[in-house]
Amino acid sequence: MSEDSRSGLLVVRCQLGEREAFGELAGLWHDALWRYVRAMVGSPHVADDLAQDVWVAVARGLPRLREPDRFAPWLFTIARRAVADHRREAYRAPQTSAGDEADVADNGSLNGLLTTMEIEAGLGELPPLEREVLILFHLQDLSLASCAEVLGVPPGTVKSRLHRARRTLREILTERGHER
Amino acid sequence: MSEPDHGAPRGMPAELERALAAEVSLRSRMRYVAVGLAGGCAAGLIAVLWATEPRALPVRTQAVFAGLIAVGLAWAAVAAWALTRRRPLYAQDQVVGARLALVVSAVTGIVGTVLAAARGTTTAVLTTAAVGTVLTAIAGLLLARARSRRRELLRLRDVLRGGGA
Repeated sequence: MSEDSRSGLLVVRCQLGEREAFGELAGLWHDALWRYVRAMVGSPHVADDLAQDVWVAVARGLPRLREPDRFAPWLFTIARRAVADHRREAYRAPQTSAGDEADVADNGSLNGLLTTMEIEAGLGELPPLEREVLILFHLQDLSLASCAEVLGVPPGTVKSRLHRARRTLREILTERGHER
Repeated sequence: MSEPDHGAPRGMPAELERALAAEVSLRSRMRYVAVGLAGGCAAGLIAVLWATEPRALPVRTQAVFAGLIAVGLAWAAVAAWALTRRRPLYAQDQVVGARLALVVSAVTGIVGTVLAAARGTTTAVLTTAAVGTVLTAIAGLLLARARSRRRELLRLRDVLRGGGA
C-alpha cells in the first residue's frame, strides 16, 4: 500500500472514531511535520511544542476534513499557521527567540554530496518565504499544487519562489564550501 | 552548548502520544454530551413546572426557577461549545451521542407532558407535547444523519482497504 493510500485510510479511520488510528497517523507524519517546523523555527524544543499543538489542532479539525487524500496539504497548512503564530509571539518577545536561528546555522558542513542535513543547515539563512517553499517541495515532497494550497498562492508564484530559493541556497552552500 | 543532530527525525515522543490520546478521548466527549443533555432537559422540566403552577409564585421562588433554568441552559451551551470547538464528535461518537439524545429527549418529552397533564391546562399539555415531539424529531434527524455519515466513511474505508490490498 502506498504512503498516500495508507495515509488516506488512516484519516478515514480517524474520522470514524477508531482511536488507535490517531497514533498510527501521527506516527506516519510526525517526522515530516517535525522537520518542517524545526526548519522553520530553528529550535528543536520549539518544534516539539509546535508539533504537539499541530496534532491537537488536527484531532480537533479532522471531522471537518472532506477530502482524506488531501491530508498532507491540510496538515502543513495547520503547521504553517502554527509557525506564523509562533513568529508573531516571538516578535513580541524577541529576546526569547534570538538564539533560535543560530541553531540552524551551527549545523556543520560536511564533505562530499549534499545530504538532507546539509540542505536543512543552509535553510536557516534563507528568507522565510523561500525557506518554507523549499521545505515543502523538496523535503516534504509535496506537489506544486499542494504547495500552492498550503501557502495560499498560485502555482506560478510557488515556481518563482522555488527558483529564487534554489539559487539562494546554492549561493549559501557554495560559500560554505560545498561546490564540487 | 549545541545539541546534536538538530535536523534528525525523532519518532513520536511518548508525551505527544499521551496528549493525543487525551485529546481524542471518547469518555470526555460523552461526558460533554451527557452534561449538555442533562442541562437542557433539566431546564425544560423546570420550565414546565413553573408554567403549570396553579397560583402565581412568590418573586423569590420565581427567581430561583429562573436561576435554575439559566444554569441548565448554561451547561447545555458550554457542552455545545466544547463539542463544536474542543472535542468534536467523530462519526461513531455522533451515532452514540445522537442515540443518547433521542432517548433522553423522548423521556423528557413524556415526563414533561405527564407533569403538564397532572398540573396544568389542556394548552400547557399540548404545548409541552409539541415541544417534546419537535426535540425528539430533531434528535431522530441527527441520528439518521450520523448513521449516514458513518456508513459513508465505512464504505470509503473498505474501498481504501481493498484498493491497497
